[in-house]
Amino acid sequence: MATDLAPPPPKAATKAKKRRAGKVPLRAALARYRWLYLMLLPGVAYFAIFKYLPMYGVTIAFQDFLPFLGYSGSPWVGFKHFEDLFSGPDFGRLMFNTLFLALLHIVIVFPAPIIVALMLNELRVSFVKRSVQSLIYIPHFLSWTIVASLTYLLFAADFGVISGWIRDLLGDTAKVDYMAQEEWFRPLIILQQLWKQTGWGTIIYLAALAGVDPNLYEAARMDGAGRFRQLWHVTLPAIRPTVVVMAILASGNLLDSGFEQIWLMTTSLNRSVADVFDTYVYYAGITQGAISYSTAVGLFKGVAGVILIFGSNWLAKRLGQRGLF
Amino acid sequence: MSASRRRRLLAGVLTLTVALTASACSGGDAPQTDPNTITFMSKLFGTAPDPKGEMQQAIEKFLGKKLQITWVPNAEYTEKLNVTLASDDIPQVMVVDPHLPAFVKAAQAGAFWDLTDKLDKYPNLKPADAQTALNSSINGKIYGLYRMRPLLRSAVIIRKDWLKKVGLDEPETVDELYEIAKAFTEKDPDGNGKKDTYGLVIPKWPGNYASASPYDVIETWFGAPNGWGERDGKIVPGFDTPEFIEANRWLKKMVDGGMVNPDFATLDAAKWNDPVHQNRGGIIIDVNIRSRQWLDLFYEDDKETYGDKVTMVGNLKRSDGKKFSYPFTGYADSLAVSKQSVRTEAELDNVLKTLDKLATKEGQVLLSNGIEGRNFKVENGDTAALINEDDPAVKRIQNDVDDAFIQLSTKGDVSIGGIAYQRVPSGEPYQEMLKLQKELVEEDLKTAVHNVALPVVSPTAVAKGAQIDTIISDARIKYLSGTFTEEQLKAEIKRWYDSGGTQVAAEINDLVSKLGQ
Amino acid sequence: MSTMTETKATQPVNNNSSLGSRAFDTLNVVVLVGLALITVLPLLYVLAGSFAGEAEISSRPFFLWPEKFVTESYAYIFATDTFIRALLTTVVVTAVGTVVQLLLTFTMAYPLAKRYLPGRTLVLNLVIFTMVFSGGMIPTYLVVRDLGLLDSYWALILPLAINPFYLIIVKSFFQELPQALEEAARIDGCNEMGVFFKIVLPLSKPVIATFSLFYAVAIWNDYMSPLLYITDPGKWTLQILVRQLTSTDAATALSQMDRTWVPPEQGLKFAVVVIATLPILFFYPFLQKHFAKGVLIGSVKE
Repeated sequence: MATDLAPPPPKAATKAKKRRAGKVPLRAALARYRWLYLMLLPGVAYFAIFKYLPMYGVTIAFQDFLPFLGYSGSPWVGFKHFEDLFSGPDFGRLMFNTLFLALLHIVIVFPAPIIVALMLNELRVSFVKRSVQSLIYIPHFLSWTIVASLTYLLFAADFGVISGWIRDLLGDTAKVDYMAQEEWFRPLIILQQLWKQTGWGTIIYLAALAGVDPNLYEAARMDGAGRFRQLWHVTLPAIRPTVVVMAILASGNLLDSGFEQIWLMTTSLNRSVADVFDTYVYYAGITQGAISYSTAVGLFKGVAGVILIFGSNWLAKRLGQRGLF
Repeated sequence: MSASRRRRLLAGVLTLTVALTASACSGGDAPQTDPNTITFMSKLFGTAPDPKGEMQQAIEKFLGKKLQITWVPNAEYTEKLNVTLASDDIPQVMVVDPHLPAFVKAAQAGAFWDLTDKLDKYPNLKPADAQTALNSSINGKIYGLYRMRPLLRSAVIIRKDWLKKVGLDEPETVDELYEIAKAFTEKDPDGNGKKDTYGLVIPKWPGNYASASPYDVIETWFGAPNGWGERDGKIVPGFDTPEFIEANRWLKKMVDGGMVNPDFATLDAAKWNDPVHQNRGGIIIDVNIRSRQWLDLFYEDDKETYGDKVTMVGNLKRSDGKKFSYPFTGYADSLAVSKQSVRTEAELDNVLKTLDKLATKEGQVLLSNGIEGRNFKVENGDTAALINEDDPAVKRIQNDVDDAFIQLSTKGDVSIGGIAYQRVPSGEPYQEMLKLQKELVEEDLKTAVHNVALPVVSPTAVAKGAQIDTIISDARIKYLSGTFTEEQLKAEIKRWYDSGGTQVAAEINDLVSKLGQ
Repeated sequence: MSTMTETKATQPVNNNSSLGSRAFDTLNVVVLVGLALITVLPLLYVLAGSFAGEAEISSRPFFLWPEKFVTESYAYIFATDTFIRALLTTVVVTAVGTVVQLLLTFTMAYPLAKRYLPGRTLVLNLVIFTMVFSGGMIPTYLVVRDLGLLDSYWALILPLAINPFYLIIVKSFFQELPQALEEAARIDGCNEMGVFFKIVLPLSKPVIATFSLFYAVAIWNDYMSPLLYITDPGKWTLQILVRQLTSTDAATALSQMDRTWVPPEQGLKFAVVVIATLPILFFYPFLQKHFAKGVLIGSVKE
């Protein structure tokens, strides 16, 4: 496949000329690529208006912002909110909990759709394949509220269906309140994420798999490759770019734990492991009205996200992958 | 990105910002001064009324003014409130919890009218109860018309058939309640031959300390202050008293004895009635109107015997016979008037006159009962009976009232001392329960323990809320579930003080002492 | 670039199935069907619950078939036109929005896929930056308001017009497209715009299918935009109503001590979820057939 991009159909554009084109005669570049720039324009306008225009909002983090007084009327306080955040008694715990969940996410939740997509790809009965495919992505449509109440139904200490089975299997000593115990909080969160998002996540990989040139399999088979070698030598390399892109993009959201899911699963008994930046910020920002403080936390998460996403992109490139660009 | 490029980009973005905001200011800044329209923002449960619907038309006709109401889903009200305060098109009147931190900050910064000395001029806006008005104030300053709620709602609701089965009478003291819970656990009250029941049902409580949870109610019974109370001339938080520990020891004994549902830390509050209905639990300590929900559930099972399954008692006496009852705040949310959209005293007068008209009996009936002769008729002079329930148009009126317009009513119905008609479901058990409820409330009000800190807002409590709010309520549940020892519970109380509580207590003492002046 | 022929199968084919291979197939089917069951059982409960009475839901912990079949919840939902109107609104906004968003995303992704385009890296960096950094809810609201979009359906579409996440993935996809095709077209006298619409887009059907699903679902499920930008309840979308009936309001009502309001019945919640989910569910099987076609099948041979 044509993976390395040929330079454009340059009408005798040498490399030297091109470099100059980028620097000095901007007009020349604009003229030569006018169609491409034209196509770029609506998108750039979108990002300028809806993404960059509101970015002045981060100044809230350095103010004691009151919506009523607005951006110009609220007093400036410098780095006060950042100091509060980093010196607060909860910072270490929030960081640890957030990172722990992120780690579990990378190790378990991220690869799950890839594995399921590969398994689906190996299915030869097209009816089964289609049915399974159309069923497993449905949970994506249910809100976390519904997921949480289903979880409760299944895992409640008293009458939960699954806790009942476990009790039948292991006897009454195995009576555990899964919804309350600290040690069961993370497994349940991960289970919920797997249940809700795995099927949905396969879609992008299935689309990538659909793009694999069948001739490659043909060729591999001619070389005497069995199924697993075909998987290894043809299928995996074909979806690798997608996996890399997804991984890099996911790294930027590492500190996002998903507020609603965690908020719903938090109880008085598991709060010490359940508190993450997202829930804390919600409580501080929305319930307590500390908009500036929660913006400061958001800013901190944003900086971390930028470092992570550009860092992992750099790393991917160092490892010989294409990266984001 | 080079520095110069970055600067150029920034400059571009800034120019665009200025251009946009400038253009906006010319158009959007004009305040709504049309004296014939009044604008509201209110919480909404369920679906929103049609502005051209029968209900809204009726209110507009009554007021002689156009209504413009922004209905906001209850769950996201605070988000919308923040965004609305930041924009300059604020409705004139907003339904808001006067102690919501975002509101307190806005009000103190001058976003809302201070109505403390203004209400007396309007015959129907003068607070019906001075104490409740004070409770809804911010440090003595009243920023809105409070929406009246019962002053006392706590009660103990019990399975009547189970009581009969185990041969016990309705409780009057905590010890009797304990015996009942014990019998409910051990004596197979549902008669299925299995030991699969417990006494008391408690859910995962969504609020923190002093939020009318069953725990708070029990602590008050034992004599602990309700939220904040005076001890040796100083105002202390209720959890810093021996009675608090004693109450929780009592409850822990019940938990340890299997007399409380094992999932009391996690049971979804929306499913609170389920264990009772599934014959697993038999007692709930909550607001008295929950008795009606029980009746509803058992009515669906069996339309003949449902009345035999539910009974209710009020607050309970301590072992030594002393009684302390848990009262409520007497209000829920206020109607506040924005200074941004109501700019002058004359405009304020106009708005308050409209609200005054809405606060008459006719207005309140419209808002909380609907249109007389269309969806209800008056019986016995004070009760609204639903009529034409099968007519879809009438159903719409009823929905508009229940989901939406009742949120704008400030005075409540006669059953709680208000002026609108009360609604009593048909069915004798319902009516008996309502009668009982009235008697219990009247009796319990005599021994109500009021939270002296209700009118004040401690700035530290607001600022440090995210760090300290959950300390006590979490520790309490950890103690009850056996995760914490009593020493650890006490250590957590100390941690509350160390994390800012000391300052909160000092501020509360200071603010309350200033209230009297 | 390898030679292309017209083949139908896109997954590996193996004529001489070994024993191990067959065992794998069996296991594979069993595991996947098991997964499908795990995902679908709780949903069947929701469906069954939507047809069950309140007393049954509160007395039976888990069931797949109601003992007594009642349609009260659905009758309640369809008693007024609120839901039907919201459903129609949502369908229209989703359809229009998806087209607009696809168009904007794909036209922007194409030039960004051209490595030789000056300024491309800057734009990409700026795009990626917005994935982790945002001005926040209030300033975005003010921009939408200043553009005069409040209470307009465009407020539900334009602020989310390009998902940077999707943009990057589409861009990577364009980079994988064989350059030779475009060159051929260019020799035929097309400009880049022509190449894009005549050659690239037709080749991108599976990707278009994928992202139309993603965008459609995102608009369908969005409730924050209608909540913030739409004040006229007549223009509310389905998700606001779903949220109204299924959120943890009961819990908030508890802690706010305002309990005049009776929470909606469980069966009604389930019915609302069913109604809000079914229409968009049908979208996927419809698109599924496009996924099956290989990206390059049927295009030019080299």
